[in-house]
Amino acid sequence: MPSRSDDNAIDKDPIDKDPIDKGPIDKDKGEHLPHLRADGAPPRPSWLPRQRRGITPQMIGRYPDYDVLENADTWDEMTRGVVLARLDPPGPLRFFEPSEEATLRAFCDVTTGQDEDPRVPVAESVDAKLADGKLDGFQYADMPDDRDTWHLVLAGLDESAHERFRTGFGQCRLDEQEQLVRDFAAGRLSGGSWNELNVSRAWSVCMRAILSGFYSHPWAWNEIGFGGPAYPRGYMRTGALNTTEPSESRGATQEDPVGTVRRESEEFPG
Amino acid sequence: MSIKDRLRNAAKGSIGPADNDSRFLLDVHSRALPGRQTMQQYDDDDEVDLAIVGAGAGGSVLAQRLARKGWRIVVIEAGPFWDPDKDWVSDEAGSHGLYWTGKRIIGGADPIELGKNNSGHGVGGSMVHYAGYTPRFHPSDLETFTRDGVGADWPIRYEDLLPHYERVERELPVSGQNWPWGHPHSYPFSPHPVSEAANVVWRGAEQLGIGMRVGPVGIVNGTFGNRPHCIYRGYCLQGCKVNAKASPLVTHLPDALAHSVEIRSDCMAARIELDESGRARGVVYLSEPGGAERLQRAKFVAVAGYSIETPRLLLASTSARFPHGLCNDHDVVGRYVMVQGATQTAGRWPEELRMYKAPPPQVSSEDYYETDTSRGFARGFSIQTVSPLPIGWAEHVLADGHWGRAMREYMRDYNHWATVGVLNELLAHPDNRITLADEVDAYGLPVARMDYSLTENDKANEAYSTKVITDILKAGGAQDVLTIHRYAHLIGGARMGSSPGTSVVDANQRSWAVPNLFLADGSVCPTQGSANPALTIMALASRLAERMADGSAMSDDPEQRAGPFRARQPVG
Repeated sequence: MPSRSDDNAIDKDPIDKDPIDKGPIDKDKGEHLPHLRADGAPPRPSWLPRQRRGITPQMIGRYPDYDVLENADTWDEMTRGVVLARLDPPGPLRFFEPSEEATLRAFCDVTTGQDEDPRVPVAESVDAKLADGKLDGFQYADMPDDRDTWHLVLAGLDESAHERFRTGFGQCRLDEQEQLVRDFAAGRLSGGSWNELNVSRAWSVCMRAILSGFYSHPWAWNEIGFGGPAYPRGYMRTGALNTTEPSESRGATQEDPVGTVRRESEEFPG
Repeated sequence: MSIKDRLRNAAKGSIGPADNDSRFLLDVHSRALPGRQTMQQYDDDDEVDLAIVGAGAGGSVLAQRLARKGWRIVVIEAGPFWDPDKDWVSDEAGSHGLYWTGKRIIGGADPIELGKNNSGHGVGGSMVHYAGYTPRFHPSDLETFTRDGVGADWPIRYEDLLPHYERVERELPVSGQNWPWGHPHSYPFSPHPVSEAANVVWRGAEQLGIGMRVGPVGIVNGTFGNRPHCIYRGYCLQGCKVNAKASPLVTHLPDALAHSVEIRSDCMAARIELDESGRARGVVYLSEPGGAERLQRAKFVAVAGYSIETPRLLLASTSARFPHGLCNDHDVVGRYVMVQGATQTAGRWPEELRMYKAPPPQVSSEDYYETDTSRGFARGFSIQTVSPLPIGWAEHVLADGHWGRAMREYMRDYNHWATVGVLNELLAHPDNRITLADEVDAYGLPVARMDYSLTENDKANEAYSTKVITDILKAGGAQDVLTIHRYAHLIGGARMGSSPGTSVVDANQRSWAVPNLFLADGSVCPTQGSANPALTIMALASRLAERMADGSAMSDDPEQRAGPFRARQPVG
């Protein structure tokens, strides 16, 4: 374990060497979008502004001065209760075994791109869903119950990690974990626990729970500039481009703020 | 434009239905149904006129109509009786309770995801969480076999549904532009304003010469009795806390309660019980898992559990007379269940569009609805804008192949995207069916299994339509696109027809095998068109109610049972 931590320190993030990142990214041209980049991969998160108001996962986002929680007093009571409960400090895992925890946390981190705190507690969200039996209402005929699927997937990730990297999934380097997850997403893992699953379907079962956990959290709404609940207040500015509600704030841009302020004061004197 | 159409246009927004007071029976200050406190209650042994299983689009309309004719009615509903103020939230993950999440098994070559995707639970049914699109079927949908050699013909014609379409549109009420497709018609309320996320799609379609129209949606534009104007908060799929979006909970059940209907919520129907003569005695149900079986006696029984639960209930209702399930002498129950292809493609613009504002359903096109042989497949598809909220958007991004940091990058770009989807008419096939699995649910009842496999025609339709919506976005200036292939809606599974060997119910939705048993939901539809099914399910129930009230639905005349349009379907 200690020796592997050293490896981590040496090669913490292979994307740091991304040759594509040269100069500032033009958001208007979509230069940050994987499809539009030569290597098909996202740029380093460092192109993003740091969050100045409220919290986002890893304190990065496109709306540095927006905190959806500042609107919580305009939400109806039931909605406020459900959303704010997600900010409570997460308790211990109830569904997963302690032996599964490292793999679970690493898997949730890699699939949601969370590499440092503050983290949205995705593992706890998945754990709660499974512990409470709040399943989705369908089970593939060639698959076990979703709860069994999760146990098998975590075991499978560990088995594959041992096979390839001679250590558990949770102890692998980030690029190793990403390689395994890439193969999982493509349905390319097999042997051992994987043989009891339809691997592609297992990926969709797991990701359904993970995405729901991550994007139900208000920190993730801050990151993406989502307006959030709007009852009873409602949204009134739905028409023209770039029209924002009083409670919304525009995304960050690369423009020179001094020039903009000067121009606006000339265009709108007084 | 006919004089009738001119009058409808002039009266837009000012005329409500004459025989449904639901809009006045709601409270302005709270969303719970005031009539629930004083709801009629019947004893199990009190033989009511009608027991209905399911308080959704079909069951609620049937109950409201017949209650007004003096029928004594109990509706048995598996899910809760909602108090939207307390039970519903403006939140995706928090809306889990709105969906049918009891286990179901999905199989076949192309298994269909259920749950929040297409299955409701509770009073109001799936319309509680539908987006709100309420298009009519086209006349061609009822005769696809005659016209195109695919699917099946219905035993009834579009003209049989027309007066009920108009009536239900006044009750919801539907707002939208004058409709040029299918049987051209206008709507009782004018179209909603359109957000920029829909405008960019509209402009792309315009570039390609594809006609778009605003609506049709069952969402109040203006006010309607005590129902307020939509506030464009975007959470239509999580239950409308405003009472602006139509669902039976606000459009039909208030009036039904005022006319002595009992909604018996949280009660799971177990089977239909027959008497010695082969008539239904009533509905056996459980008021809690592990509880004692109860029998609600009734002169007539109508099942309205939708395309999975209706076949499940019939198949589970076995007896010496029906060893393979009620009404299943010819192995038709559960077959020909359908879903619609619902691929969605999102496009990216430099400006912030913020698609979460305004209702997800905004503008649509039916230019590709009917068969055009040059496309290489039979039947067609419709095009509709949609607006996923963050979790839905994450599923969209994932489906395009992005997870981890790539997904986060696309997610952060959320406000720059607009989404347009299709509804493909997938063709009915006997092997796409509901059966009973070996497992049982919390009530000890066998769970449903749904098998689904696409035909070559279905795949060709999906591929063609995906290219059309992608082209629309690109023509509108999208810089990047992301696509998710998915399925939506349910229909069929216990179809109506002109002969007992090929259908479960006759042209009056009365079962061929049990004289006092009716099916009152979307399971009876032999085809589905490319239209969202809610309005048609309500219109069918409205027609059924009319015919039950005047007795014509109980006719044993073979001509009456076979229907005005002699249904045909492929042999074998």
